[in-house]
Amino acid sequence: MHDQPLLDVSNLTVNLLTAKSAVRPVDGVSYSVRQGECLAIVGESGSGKTVMNFAPLGLMPTGVTTMLSGSVKLEGRELIGLPEAEIQKLRGKSVGFIFQDPMSALNPVRRIGRQIAEMAELHLNMTSKAAEARALELVKLVGISDPAARLRQYPHELSGGLRQRIVIAIALAGEPKLLIADEPTTALDVTVQAQILRLLKDVQRRLNMAMVLITHDMGVVAGAADNIVVMYAARAAECGPVDKVLVSPRHPYTRGLINAIPRREDPIGLEFRGLPGIPPTLGAPIKGCALAPRCELAVPACGNSRPPLVRSDDSAVLVACPVVNQGKAAA
Amino acid sequence: MIHFISKRLKHSLVLLFMASVVCFTLVVSAPGNVAVLIAELRGAVATPGYVEQVEEEIGLNKPLLMRYVDWLGDAVRGDFGISYRTGQDVSADLANRMLVTGILIAGSAVIATLISLALGFLGAFWPYKLPDRVSRGLALLGASTPTFFVGALMIYAFSVTFQLLPSFGFDGPKSWILPWLTIAVLPAAVLSRVVRVGLEEAMTSPFVLTAKSKGLGRTAILFREALPNITPIFINALGTQVGLMTATAIIVEPLFAWQGVGDYFLAGVRFRDFMVVQACLLIFLTFFIVVNLIVDLAVLLTDPRIRRQWS
Ligand SMILES: Nc1ncnc2c1ncn2[C@@H]1O[C@H](COP(=O)(O)OP(=O)(O)OP(=O)(O)O)[C@@H](O)[C@H]1O
Ligand code: SF4
Ligand SMILES: [Mg+2]
Repeated sequence: MHDQPLLDVSNLTVNLLTAKSAVRPVDGVSYSVRQGECLAIVGESGSGKTVMNFAPLGLMPTGVTTMLSGSVKLEGRELIGLPEAEIQKLRGKSVGFIFQDPMSALNPVRRIGRQIAEMAELHLNMTSKAAEARALELVKLVGISDPAARLRQYPHELSGGLRQRIVIAIALAGEPKLLIADEPTTALDVTVQAQILRLLKDVQRRLNMAMVLITHDMGVVAGAADNIVVMYAARAAECGPVDKVLVSPRHPYTRGLINAIPRREDPIGLEFRGLPGIPPTLGAPIKGCALAPRCELAVPACGNSRPPLVRSDDSAVLVACPVVNQGKAAA
Repeated sequence: MIHFISKRLKHSLVLLFMASVVCFTLVVSAPGNVAVLIAELRGAVATPGYVEQVEEEIGLNKPLLMRYVDWLGDAVRGDFGISYRTGQDVSADLANRMLVTGILIAGSAVIATLISLALGFLGAFWPYKLPDRVSRGLALLGASTPTFFVGALMIYAFSVTFQLLPSFGFDGPKSWILPWLTIAVLPAAVLSRVVRVGLEEAMTSPFVLTAKSKGLGRTAILFREALPNITPIFINALGTQVGLMTATAIIVEPLFAWQGVGDYFLAGVRFRDFMVVQACLLIFLTFFIVVNLIVDLAVLLTDPRIRRQWS
């Protein structure tokens, strides 16, 4: 029982229908996170990272019809098929969310104290007085100076970094077991990014929560995550422990990503070493490997059928590329 | 904050001064010789000599600037002169009538606010569903029906057919309901759209996603998150509507035989009783300016972002 992952996603597929379009931003992805663990999800913009984490918890914008299949289990409880009213009870209580842009994530005309305290009222059944006290504790916990004064302020009176700390305080207020942080540092000043990341990592460890950290930044992955899922075009290309995947990436896409990180010894003015080409659109399901048009290892067979995510030569690392995996067999 | 208020007050004073010039000029440049009119009203034959005497008596022979200064000086002290027609003190008449019109506008403003909030929320809660369509339909109907027709309908329905409410007169709250409703229809219709559209816009803001992620339900999000965001816009729109109610009062007061400022103004115009017209115009314009001042202050109090700009 103790070994059961806190969040267990298997073969999750998400289809989004709008008035104008139908897309499949998540296509048969599996991963899991245990209590106290941090899972990084990386991938290009539009590869489905946000949808994959938000859609099963009912956090899609209005005007989009979300169709889910597969399985998402939170503490053993299946979320797919659960009525919205039940999922609402989990939001904030079992799962806390942190968003990319702290500038717009807070309500501009409500005091910060209220925005935090209402979480404690809602999820911990506190009186408004007890909740205010709890808000004060939380603001201290996320390392804000002069906490009592901050609670009386409005969001626009704080800097981006402080606002993100407030967002984190809100996410922690319901004492969730899982934190989902969607690019929590992308919108911040470079100098603040490291502080916020350290704070997140620190509270995650101290409160022994599970965390899903969505990011573009391999530096963030290396510094904070235990495991990593690399997404490409709605699918998982590679996943495994961070120390293994970053040190010896196997999937051509992961290699491309890591290769694209600027290095200290790079001469100034060196051309960006990203993968050539652009990712496919997610309108129609892709028949073969989604990376085939951009992949330097591609063989004709790559276009035939979707490569399954299977164990590579290291049993902890899963890779969706038969060419790489057979190389292992050959070796 | 203090800076903002003092700036706004100065602004309002300038506007008031301009309003007084406009009132005075309008009335002075109106056609017709007042002295002749007064002479006739007094039952005398308007011989040139008598007319001259009247002119002197009411100060018409003085230079325009002097007349303006005299009039303004008196007006500031609350003395609007003597009605040409009745010989009564205009200020005494007005005091009573301002109370009547005040009750009319205050009641209508409250009703318009309540109805528009209810309709707007209904629409925002079930966007594009039946309640929204009904709310939109009512708004369209309310905004496109002329007020005198609304009044006639109200009288027909509530007084004539069901005999629930008196169709005219100003005695007690029961007699206030129909005039209130009549005036409230148009602003309620306009404001309900302000509420509906404002709420919908607020509901697409990114902070609503945060609110949802906190586990708040739709009702809580609408009331706690979206409503405070539309309060400043709503107050602004309400202020405009309340200002416009002075114009509606001119139509509605006579319809219900209310002796308010609107009714007074209308009678003044009809009999070219310029002292009355001038006084009523000045009162209306002052009301407009004061309402705007209150709106600005209220917006300042409800929107922390604006408050910050001025602190
Ligand atoms: N509200 C929506 N309506 C329609 N399609 C959507 C919507 N949100 C996302 N999508 C589709 O889902 C795809 C994946 O979006 P998602 O936001 O999950 O990407 P992401 O990996 O989080 O990208 P980013 O790094 O830019 O945040 C998008 O390319 C888009 O086609
Ligand atoms: S399956 Fe083929 S195209 Fe896809 S990553 Fe592997 S080699 Fe490249
Ligand atoms: Mg995203």
